[in-house]
Amino acid sequence: MLIFENIKLALSSIRVNKMRSFLTMLGMIIGISSVIAIVSLGDTMRSAIAKEYENVGSTLGYLYINSPDGYYTDDYLFTAEDKDMVKEAFGDRLTYLGFNSSSKATMKNGRVTKEGNLIGLAENPAEYKKLNILKGKLFSNLDVENARPFVILEEKDAMELFGSIDVVGRTIRTVIGTETKELTVTGVYRNQDSALMKLLSGSNNTRFTAYVPETLIFPKGSTAWSLYFCVKSSYNVEEVGNQVARYVAKIKNKEESQVMFYSAQKEMGTIDSMMGGLSAVVGAIAAISLVVGGIGIMNIMLVSVTERTREIGIRKALGARTQDILSQFLIESAIISAAGGAVGTALGIGVVAIGGMFVNMAVVVKPQVVIIAVVFSAVVGIFFGLYPAAKAAKADPIEALRYE
Amino acid sequence: MRNIIEIQNLNKIYDTGAVQVHALKEVNLTIQEGEYVAIMGKSGSGKSTLMNILGCLDRPTSGSYVLDGIDVAKENPKQISYIRNQKIGFVFQSFNLIPRTSALKNVELPMIYGRVPAKERLARAKELLEKVGLGDRLDHMPNEISGGQKQRIAVARALANHPAILLADEPTGNLDTPSSVEVMNLFTQLNREGVTVIVVTHEDDIAAFTNRIIRFQDGQLIEDKRRGEHADF
Repeated sequence: MLIFENIKLALSSIRVNKMRSFLTMLGMIIGISSVIAIVSLGDTMRSAIAKEYENVGSTLGYLYINSPDGYYTDDYLFTAEDKDMVKEAFGDRLTYLGFNSSSKATMKNGRVTKEGNLIGLAENPAEYKKLNILKGKLFSNLDVENARPFVILEEKDAMELFGSIDVVGRTIRTVIGTETKELTVTGVYRNQDSALMKLLSGSNNTRFTAYVPETLIFPKGSTAWSLYFCVKSSYNVEEVGNQVARYVAKIKNKEESQVMFYSAQKEMGTIDSMMGGLSAVVGAIAAISLVVGGIGIMNIMLVSVTERTREIGIRKALGARTQDILSQFLIESAIISAAGGAVGTALGIGVVAIGGMFVNMAVVVKPQVVIIAVVFSAVVGIFFGLYPAAKAAKADPIEALRYE
Repeated sequence: MRNIIEIQNLNKIYDTGAVQVHALKEVNLTIQEGEYVAIMGKSGSGKSTLMNILGCLDRPTSGSYVLDGIDVAKENPKQISYIRNQKIGFVFQSFNLIPRTSALKNVELPMIYGRVPAKERLARAKELLEKVGLGDRLDHMPNEISGGQKQRIAVARALANHPAILLADEPTGNLDTPSSVEVMNLFTQLNREGVTVIVVTHEDDIAAFTNRIIRFQDGQLIEDKRRGEHADF
């Protein structure tokens, strides 16, 4: 029952000095809100990235050859011959093999000119890139083999260039590097980029992204930095990837340790743990402000105890035990900091929610984070309130009653 | 009538490092239940020191103090708090009410520390405030009422846990004459109802309300006069 009375007492004492109580809570509020905002930001990003990798497909991997001294010569790059060799050795285990080559290009139709990138798709493009085809179709393997001058345009780019999306069969003049080609539109796709991708690539992107058969922009003698492939679902991505890496090392006459293989899975795992680590570090720094907040509480409680010295003397003369006084002040500081924690939590969640609205991402706030935050702030309050409360409890009633 | 207070060979020495102050010297004193006592003396006579020891706010250096059968010297801090709460009702010169707290809540306070349930507390607090004539001021704050009224609230508070003794330290020191008379009449009334009242004062007019005057000088009890049936002090 005394605890209940002490709670009422603490609340009324806080109410009497609203401004002071608020300023005391401020340290807690700032500390908790920043910890929650930063941790939730990290969680939101990680969940968005995980979803991104879901879209890409977990069978994707790529490899490149690393030069230990940083100097690269042509023998570090991949040629069409390399690709053919890999295809022969691993064709049964791979569903896709390409270079992810891209080329800058300019498209022109009548008065409309647009700059952008052409991305090459190798055989079995459906395995590699899950495009949302609205009109027409993806390239066939023959299209790729014969390096046919086909192009798949994005919906919005088609509208800009032709004024319609029913443009399958139309041709468009395209300047690729120094060459000018007439490309035939064989398909129109809709960009399915997630909010995260849009954020990373910049939403004001006026450049087009169109797809062509890889062989079109990768003529004989070309070289590429990386080899991209998709592993058949019945095989283990890591295993096959490593096998391909070892094979490549052999045919390129390099050390096995120089051939770097990354699977989308591994990459996501790496990025996820990196982000997790980053969140934790920044969260820890924000937690330092919690300590500062706690010190503020200790300071104010010391002032409060001193101010109420006489009152403490009266209570002791009336029969209050040491622990009664101790709990009175401990409860007060616990309530101040828990209240600060609650407000800070609401503020932190609010900031994350508003931020989420701007970047159009699904906001992630784990309930554990909230619970830990509020409990932690109450603990901080009790810890930093202990010294002042003990001081109050030990006061000698006669001395205290004499205090002006 | 049994003894409510028994003091034997009581000494209090303050050791302030450089100087030793012998505030109470070999005091022997017995007070029976139901008595109405005044303890008088100039400042430095030891009366305030005795008051603090009687109220269990301070401990004697040597000697014994038995209150309502309890040897106070043997009690631990928790027990002392219990004695303060249950056996002693204190009334101070400067009222010492808890600020920004209603009269009702002030009177409830000793009962809160006495772990009395809320309903019972509230009823008794109301009853006591009515008894001292403040039934219409239950929710008033200390800063809204006069000195005399504040002291009456303090008396109500002192009676909250049915104490063995009512201890008043210069209760009229901060009051004007009419309020002083009011408060002393209240004590007289309470004493007639059986409450043991001990008043520490340096004023003869105030001591005249009581039935027994004990005088101190330089830490020693020098006089102990009872009011006779016919004679005045």
